[in-house]
Amino acid sequence: MAETTNKPTKANESEYVIEMLNITKEFPGIKANDNITLQLKKGEIHALLGENGAGKSTLMSVLFGLYQPEAGCIKKNGEVVKINDPNDANMLNIGMVHQHFKLVECFSVLDNIILGVEPNTAGFLKKKDARKKVLDLSERYGLHVDPDAIVEDISVGMQQRTEILKMLYRDNEILIFDEPTAVLTPQEIDELMRIMRGFANEGKSILFITHKLAEIMAVADRCTVLRKGKYIGTVNIADTTPQELSRMMVGRNVNFKVDKQDMEPGEVVLEVNGITVPSKLHKGNSVQDVSFNVRRGEIVTLAGIEGNGQTQFVYALTGLDKPTAGSIKLCGKDITKMAIRDRSKMGMSHIPEDRHKHGLVLDYSLEQNMVLQKYWDPQFQSMGFIKFDAVREYSERLIEQYDVRSGQGPITMARSMSGGNQQKAIVAREIDKDPELLVAVQPTRGLDVGAIEYIHKQIVAQRDAGKAVLLVSLELDEVMNLSDRILVMYEGEIVGEFDPKVTTTEELGLYMAGAKRQER
Amino acid sequence: MNILADIISATVLFAIPLLLVALGGMFSERSGIINIALDGIMIIGALLGCHTLKWLDPAVTAGNLGSQVAVMIAILVAGVAGIALSLLLAFSAINLRADQTIGGTALNMFAPAFSIVLTWAILGQGQTTMTLPTWVRIVQNNFGKEASGTFGDMLVFKSLYATHFLCIILFAAAVILLYKTKFGLRLRACGEHPQAADSVGINVYKMRYAGVMISGFLGGIGGMSFVFAVGGFQSEVAGYGFLALAVMIFGNWKPWSILGAAFFFSFFRVIGNYASSIPFMPKLSNVEGVTTYLWPSIPYVVTVILLILTSKRSRAPKAEGIPYDKGQR
Amino acid sequence: MKKSIISILAAVISIVAGLVLGLVVVMATGSDAAISWSCFTAMLTSGFSSMAKLAKVLYQAAPLIMTGLSVGFAFKTGLFNIGAPGQYLMGAFVALVGAIQFQLSWPICIIAAMIAGALWGALPGLAKAYFNVNEVITSIMLNWIGLFIVNISLMNMPKMLPPHWVPSPIKDRTASLKYANPDGIIPKMGMDEFFGSPYINISIIIAILFAVVIYIILNRTTFGYELKACGHNRESARYAGINAKRNIILSMCIAGALSGVGGALYYLSGEADYNILKVLQANGFNGIPVALLATSNPLGIIFSALFISYIQVGGEAMQPHFATEVIDIIVSVIIYLAAFTLLTKGLLSKVIKFNDGKDANAEPKPAEKNTGKENGK
Repeated sequence: MAETTNKPTKANESEYVIEMLNITKEFPGIKANDNITLQLKKGEIHALLGENGAGKSTLMSVLFGLYQPEAGCIKKNGEVVKINDPNDANMLNIGMVHQHFKLVECFSVLDNIILGVEPNTAGFLKKKDARKKVLDLSERYGLHVDPDAIVEDISVGMQQRTEILKMLYRDNEILIFDEPTAVLTPQEIDELMRIMRGFANEGKSILFITHKLAEIMAVADRCTVLRKGKYIGTVNIADTTPQELSRMMVGRNVNFKVDKQDMEPGEVVLEVNGITVPSKLHKGNSVQDVSFNVRRGEIVTLAGIEGNGQTQFVYALTGLDKPTAGSIKLCGKDITKMAIRDRSKMGMSHIPEDRHKHGLVLDYSLEQNMVLQKYWDPQFQSMGFIKFDAVREYSERLIEQYDVRSGQGPITMARSMSGGNQQKAIVAREIDKDPELLVAVQPTRGLDVGAIEYIHKQIVAQRDAGKAVLLVSLELDEVMNLSDRILVMYEGEIVGEFDPKVTTTEELGLYMAGAKRQER
Repeated sequence: MNILADIISATVLFAIPLLLVALGGMFSERSGIINIALDGIMIIGALLGCHTLKWLDPAVTAGNLGSQVAVMIAILVAGVAGIALSLLLAFSAINLRADQTIGGTALNMFAPAFSIVLTWAILGQGQTTMTLPTWVRIVQNNFGKEASGTFGDMLVFKSLYATHFLCIILFAAAVILLYKTKFGLRLRACGEHPQAADSVGINVYKMRYAGVMISGFLGGIGGMSFVFAVGGFQSEVAGYGFLALAVMIFGNWKPWSILGAAFFFSFFRVIGNYASSIPFMPKLSNVEGVTTYLWPSIPYVVTVILLILTSKRSRAPKAEGIPYDKGQR
Repeated sequence: MKKSIISILAAVISIVAGLVLGLVVVMATGSDAAISWSCFTAMLTSGFSSMAKLAKVLYQAAPLIMTGLSVGFAFKTGLFNIGAPGQYLMGAFVALVGAIQFQLSWPICIIAAMIAGALWGALPGLAKAYFNVNEVITSIMLNWIGLFIVNISLMNMPKMLPPHWVPSPIKDRTASLKYANPDGIIPKMGMDEFFGSPYINISIIIAILFAVVIYIILNRTTFGYELKACGHNRESARYAGINAKRNIILSMCIAGALSGVGGALYYLSGEADYNILKVLQANGFNGIPVALLATSNPLGIIFSALFISYIQVGGEAMQPHFATEVIDIIVSVIIYLAAFTLLTKGLLSKVIKFNDGKDANAEPKPAEKNTGKENGK
């Protein structure tokens, strides 16, 4: 049970409000946290830095009571506490904004905020006081929300504010933000930083999980770095540089710039004209009159905040969904109504946004996944019977060539592979098709730096080989580094076209937030 | 006029099991568990309810026990029996994270078989039909009145059972529980986004157990009310558990819509039953088996058609059917 | 190797648990423990007690193999074909009408039954593919609708019923093929004399051939690859250019066809007449435990069908002391346990330490990294 006696205001003065000492958390076959120590001072913003898979989320889940560590202890104000579940965490005034919001989409904002701590008499809900408290908090911290709006109808930004209000409503003093900026525009990020600073000034303590160095330099007081489940060190931000942090995070010097030669684009490969896709959620369109083209030897990037129609556009482009208006031409041929298989045969490769939903059949082996786009080819079948030897040979070549690592080689179940290697397998499969057009949607999401570098290189290599590349990305760094041209999408429309050599992330941010738009 | 009274009272009579069982299904699915075992749960409820009535019969006939008190005891037994069977589903679906449809199918197979074996054991070899004691029905006498034969009298007392009153109470309770209480809010959260519920300290397993048990309770009582409607029990409920699931889907997992859907389906059932005595229905007197097989197929056909027609606006709880694993987030 | 041993062990555990509960039920509901025990042992041994009994086991296993294949095939493509009883019934009906009303020979009747089953199976497939209606509910409704259609049709087809062929007053069952159309009876090839039982015929061989064909389709062909891809993940199948809707419908058609053949195999023996009753045939539902016990492996289904058939023949030996539904109780326990085979298998693989290196499933979630390197070659 949680110890509820320690209020942070008590005279019991330890320097640290929360200490996680020598935490070890194992999952079968892997030490997610190996002897990690993290000490949070009262009123500070403490960044937790690490790559994807470094163990940040596991550590925070331990603090939040979602996992129990095998070794180590947690102290609140110097006294050992046991956190068995989120209720205990809440009683210790620990709150968390999860990376993937934990909101019930068909509930109202208010219901989501009170869920778990519902004001009630004899079990019957009493929402009136709760609404007042939410409105007060929202006023006081400038966190604008509509308590009666249904979560699935509101913007990602408002959903995040709802999550923050969830913590404030519970009077939490220790606030954990797990990758909170991934879904925000640069301007919204500044706003969030300001709010976080405000919390810290009020005496709340903040744990800020991120892998973005600029944000840490801007807002944090101290930073703890993890790498591959191990504790690397804790530094004062005032005494460090981004270069040092990045070296601590990755373990070597990283060149975040992608080497890319200037190239003169060739003829048009993809021609998109007035594509419109109706929304599944509301009456309007999720993609509205989108037109652009992609030429040989260039990387065109669709940038934008998540949920502004990029996904729906890609579905229409690749044939997973049908547009209601407009046309798509590939190499001069109209493919608007073509079946997915035929588009693929025409030379379209698609690295999908969600590798589990689309990219892989997780319960198929690696070799079966390697031929997912090609099993029907005479190379791999005759008279409808699969040529198992050919499949094996082909996948072994791809595994070798693209350095896809797995437990048992071609017969490994895709489900059991690491995210990075799953993505590498998809990239290998799609690039080996030797496409005319490569559509890569968030190809590096959730991967570590090594895999990101590798995939970026492959994409640039495709461009250098004279292919047309359409990249869809939410990461502004990736957008700025890889693109030859940038298109910003906002609410289903393309609101601006930019040259990455000229524009800045701030400028892109204004367009991504809908604050500005070009007449095209 | 008599036939109109018959049709209305029969519609109400057959709507009750559909409504109760569909509400049960709603609680289970709103918590995230597909309860396809409702058919079996109805059978077990009906089975033990009927045996309770039979066991209490001497006491009631001798005047030692009020007839409606006995009925309430039987209904309660039916509900508890339903809970017992539903726990088997809950255990496999929640603790063992087994496939909910397969687990439910097993229970649907178990219930009628168990019912037949038990009835043999109690009534003697080869005996499978259980009849209802006459005192079960509420008649004018229970209110100290005489049968008057007026339209209103026919309408009310043609076939009135304790489950009529109970159904109203249970429906009101279901609406309040689902929408006005802390429990209901938490239950719905578990069926939509169990990870979110877990992250605010709600025990998803417990809530799902609660949802399944409520469905067992309502399913068991629904089984008893089905027996009242058809007047006897032969270890089967004519697929009413599945019809109730269709009612629930048609009612979009919302109590008021389920209420409407239950009456709608029941109406078709009754039309099927009374078809031969309804003036404007075709007589088809030269065709054999019309009353046994043609008219009774109406509710099933209507169900399939309606499911197809309403599929577009149907919105199931997002997390239903997906086992919740605390380890995976 | 390891996988199949564990599957078989899990099946055996389910069976033993089912039998134990069956024993408990028999002991608890029987009036005399000695009679209960002898009934139970009779049930367990009856199938092997004579060649004639064994013949009956084989005869009843044939339709079970077919419905088991039907359910199992649909499972492989991610669908729960609880509509097997309806498809089975449609197959039986069309086969009998072909044999009696139209005096066709048995192979044509079987093909007709196959088509009828396929069409009946296609309906929930269409509803699922185009309207995303849960196939379980529609299948169950279609089972009842099929029963009503078949019964009312037969009642109004005087040529199908006894007085037309045999002077018999019993009008609630179809006329015996022996009198109506001996050509419609599946050949026995002398097996009846060998086993000393009229029940046995080549239906068991036909069923086994179907199992082998289904095994080849699922495991060796691109069609099987597509179907299984749809079953595992409909979205990624679509992404790969596989027509998921067409595959759902095709898969339900094939499942229906298999059940339909099952109905034909049972009723074209000449030893069974269709009884016009408001009851769905158990052979349809029993396809579910048959498929589950074999974890939908078509070759395994042959054995699980033989087992279910065996205990059903055994169930008859328990009468008149016990209702044959005791067998259903046993089977339901087997399904219930089979529903969490994954867990049983997980436990088993812990208990039985096969030494094949690290478990590739070691990672908690695919999003984590590292293990790729540890396990890398």
